[in-house]
Amino acid sequence: MIQDRSWAGAGRWLLSAVVALAAGLLLAETLVAQAYVPPDYGADFPVIGSRAAVWIVAQVHLMFAAFVLGVPMFAVIAEAIALFGGEDRYDRLAKEFTRLLLVAYSATALLGGLFVFLLTTLYPALWSYLSEVFRISMWMYAGIFFAESATLYMYYYGWDQWKKGRAKLGHWGLGLLLNVWGTIALLIANSWLTFMMSPPGDLTPDTSPATVQFWSAFANATWMPINVHRLIANAVFGGAIVAAYAAYRFLKAKSDEERAHYDWMGYVGNMIAIGVFLVLPFAGYYLGREIYEFNQQMGVTMMGGFMSWLWIIQAFLIGVLFLAGNYYLWIGLGRIPGGERFAPYTKWMLLVLVVGVIVWATPHTMIADRAELAAMGGTFHPFLQPLGVMSAKNTAVNLMILTTFLSFLLYRRANKNPTVSWARTGTLSQGIVLLVCALVVLFYGIAGYFVPAIVRIGFSVYQVLAVLFTIIAVLVLDILIARGAESRGDIRWGRMPPRSQYALFVLVVTFTWLMGLMGFARSGIRQHWHVYEIVQDTSAYAATPALGYAAQIISASVVIFFLMLAFVFWIGGMIAKPALVPAAADAAAAEPVPGGSPGRSGSGADRGGGLEPGLEPLPGT
Amino acid sequence: MGAVDLKVGGVVFGTILVFTLVANAIPQVQSDVPELIAFGAEVTAEELVAAGEGLFEGAGGCIACHAESAGARGPNLVTDYQGEGTIGQRCGDRIPGLDCKEYLYQSLTLPVDHLVDDYPPIMPALDRTMNPQQVWAVVAFLQSLGGEVTVTGADIPTEDAAGDAGGGLAAAGIPGVAGSDPVEIVNQECALCHLFAGGGIELGPPLDGLGARMTADEIRISILEPGAGVSEGYEELLGAMPATFGDRFTATQLESVVSYLSGLE
Repeated sequence: MIQDRSWAGAGRWLLSAVVALAAGLLLAETLVAQAYVPPDYGADFPVIGSRAAVWIVAQVHLMFAAFVLGVPMFAVIAEAIALFGGEDRYDRLAKEFTRLLLVAYSATALLGGLFVFLLTTLYPALWSYLSEVFRISMWMYAGIFFAESATLYMYYYGWDQWKKGRAKLGHWGLGLLLNVWGTIALLIANSWLTFMMSPPGDLTPDTSPATVQFWSAFANATWMPINVHRLIANAVFGGAIVAAYAAYRFLKAKSDEERAHYDWMGYVGNMIAIGVFLVLPFAGYYLGREIYEFNQQMGVTMMGGFMSWLWIIQAFLIGVLFLAGNYYLWIGLGRIPGGERFAPYTKWMLLVLVVGVIVWATPHTMIADRAELAAMGGTFHPFLQPLGVMSAKNTAVNLMILTTFLSFLLYRRANKNPTVSWARTGTLSQGIVLLVCALVVLFYGIAGYFVPAIVRIGFSVYQVLAVLFTIIAVLVLDILIARGAESRGDIRWGRMPPRSQYALFVLVVTFTWLMGLMGFARSGIRQHWHVYEIVQDTSAYAATPALGYAAQIISASVVIFFLMLAFVFWIGGMIAKPALVPAAADAAAAEPVPGGSPGRSGSGADRGGGLEPGLEPLPGT
Repeated sequence: MGAVDLKVGGVVFGTILVFTLVANAIPQVQSDVPELIAFGAEVTAEELVAAGEGLFEGAGGCIACHAESAGARGPNLVTDYQGEGTIGQRCGDRIPGLDCKEYLYQSLTLPVDHLVDDYPPIMPALDRTMNPQQVWAVVAFLQSLGGEVTVTGADIPTEDAAGDAGGGLAAAGIPGVAGSDPVEIVNQECALCHLFAGGGIELGPPLDGLGARMTADEIRISILEPGAGVSEGYEELLGAMPATFGDRFTATQLESVVSYLSGLE
C-alpha cells in the first residue's frame, strides 16, 4: 500500500509537472506571440524634432570623439620628442593636453550615452535592426572604453611617477596603448555608420538582421576609406584645437615668457594641423572613389545631384583654411630674423591662393529645372564654364598646396644662413623643381580639356604625384642645405601680433564646421534610407534637407561644442595650473626651431626659449 | 569676461555666422522622398507625364546627368541630341525590334544593356529605387518629349499584383514579378527579349522548343546565372540578360517557369 501510495504520489507529481510544463509552454507561447515589436519611430522630440535632436547630439559627440582621439596622437608624439630628443617642454605640452583629455573624455561618454538614448527612444526600429546586426561589436565597444579609461588614468596620473629611465619609456608605451584603444573604438564605430551607407550587396529588405554575416557587415565597402579619412582628420583636428587653446592662452598671457611659450605651442599645433591637412584631400579622393565603386547613383547624388552646391561651400571653407593658415605663417616671418627678406613674395602667393579659391569654388554641373537650364544655356555657366570643370579645379588645388608648401619652406629657411658649398646650386635646384612641378600641373590641367573624361581623370593622378614628389624632393634638399647652417638669430617667440592668434581661431572654427559639413555629405547621400536601399526612412523627416537647414544644424552643433570645450578647458585649468613656462635650466636646453623640428641647428649661445630681454612688441600688438 | 574673451567670442561666432549665411544664400535644394504613385487602369497620359516629370526633375535625380550640356554624364534627354531629335523622337529608332516604349523601359531598368556610345556605364537600374508605377511614369514623360505617349494603365502592374510578387522587395521599391501563371510570367518577363509562342522580341534565343535543347537544371541556372553560359550563335549577347531574376522571382514562380519551359519540346 505504501508502495501504491508512493506510486500514486509520484503520479500526482508527474501529472502536476506535465500540467505545469504545459501551462509554462502556453504562457511562453503567449509571451512569444505578444513579443514586443518596437514601433518604427517614437514620439517626436519637442520643438526641434527627432532628426535635429539626434543630428546635433551625434555631431557634438563626434566632435568630442575626434578631440579625444586626435589629442592623444598629438600627446604621444610630443612626449616622444621629449623622450628621444631631450626637449622637456614637449613633455610639459603633452601632459597639459592629457589633463584636458580627462574632462573631455567624460563629455564624450556622456554625449555618447545621450545619443544612444535618443536613438532607442526616437528611432527604436532602426536601433533594433542595428543592434541585431552589431550586438557583438557593441559589447566590444563598451569593453574598449573600460580599457581606454584605465589607460588614460594611468597615463595622466603616472606622468610624474614614471618620468625617468625605463619607467618613462613604459609611460610612453601607455600613451601608445591609449592610441591603440582609441583607434580600435574608431574602427568599431565606423563600421556601424558605414554599414548604413554601404550594406553588403547580398542584403535585401527581406533579409533578417539576425542572419547578416557579421564580418561582411563590419568590413563593408566604405569602412576602410572612412577609417583612413577619419584618422587623418582627427590628427588635423587635434592640432587645430591645440593651436586655438595656445592662442587663447597667448592672448591672456601676463608675461613675455608665458606669451613666448604659447606662441610656440600655437605654432606647433598649427603646423601639425596644416601639414597633415595637406594629405586629407587624397584620403577624400579614395573615399569618393570607393563610394562610386559601391554605387554609381550614390556617387552621382554626392557630386552631381542635389548635393552639388555642398562642394562649393566646401571649396569656400578650404579656401578660408588655406588663406588663414598661410596668413599665420607669413605673419610668423616677422618674428624670425631674416624673415623680412621673404615678405615681398607673400603678395604673389596670396594672389595664387585667391585665384585658386575662386576657380575651385566655381560651380560645375548644377541641378536646375528646364527653365533654369534654358536661361543658362546648359548646366554650365556660359562664361565660367571652363573654370567649373575638374581639370581647372584639380589644377587650382594642386597649385594652392604647392604655394602653402612654399610658405612653409620660406618659414624654415628664414633664419638660416646656409654654409654648404653648393647652397646656391641647391636653392636654384629647389626653385627649378617647384617651377617644373607647377608647369606639369598646368600642362595636365590644360590638356584635360582636350581628352575624354576617362583620360582626364587619369591626369589628376599625374598632378598629385608631381606635387608629392616635389614636396619630398624639395624638403630633402632643404634639410641637406640647412646642415651646419649659421643662424641669423633666434626666433623671437611671443613677438606675434594678436591678429595672428585670431587666425588660429578662424582655423579651428573652420575645421570644426567642415567636419559637420562632411558629416552631412556622408550621411545625406543615403537620402531617404536609414540603411541604404535596405531600411527605408518613413518618418516625417525622411526627405534630406537643403544645405541652408543643414548649415543651421551644423552651426548649432559647433556652437555647443565650443561652449562645452571652453568649459572643459576652464575645468582643466582648475585641476592643476599648467607648469608650462620652463624653469631656467630647461629654458637653456630648449630651442625653438622653425618647422616644429626638435633639431639643434643653432649654436649653444643661440639657444633659449622666451622673449629676448628688451624686445619691443611688433607694431599692431 | 574681459576684452580678449569678447574678441575671441566675436571671431568664433562671427566665423560661424558667415558660414551659415553663405550656406543659406545659395540655391536650396532638398532631396525629397520619391512620391509613391498608385495608378489605376484608367490613368491618363497627362497624369503619367506629370508624375514622370516630377520624378525626372526632382526625386529621381535624372536631370543631374541627362540635361543639355556638353559635359553631362549621360546623353541629353531634354532637347535635341546630336541632330537626332529629342528622346521622344529618337527612342523608337535606337534598337531594331524595340519600339519606343519598350526601349525606354529597358533603358531605365537595364541601362548597361543600352549604353549610348561614348558614355560610361554608370547609370543605376531605376527599378532598384523606384516602383513599377514610377518607372512607367518616367517612360511616359520621356515619350512626351517630342513623341507620342503610348504608356497606358495596362502596362502598369496593379499594386496588388506588385505586392504579391516579391513580398517585401516590392514594398522596398525592388519590383518582384507579378502573377503565378508561368505562361503569363514568360510573356511579361521573358518575351521582352525572347521569341515565344508567336510573339516576343528576337534578341536572345527563342523559348519555343527550349525543353528539347536544355534540361530543367540548365534552364534554372541560365535564369539565375545568365552570365554562366551562352547559347550557340548568341555569344555576342553574353552578359546582356539581367541577373536579377533570382531576386525578383519567388521560389514558386521560378520553379513553375522552369517546369513550364522544360516542357516546351
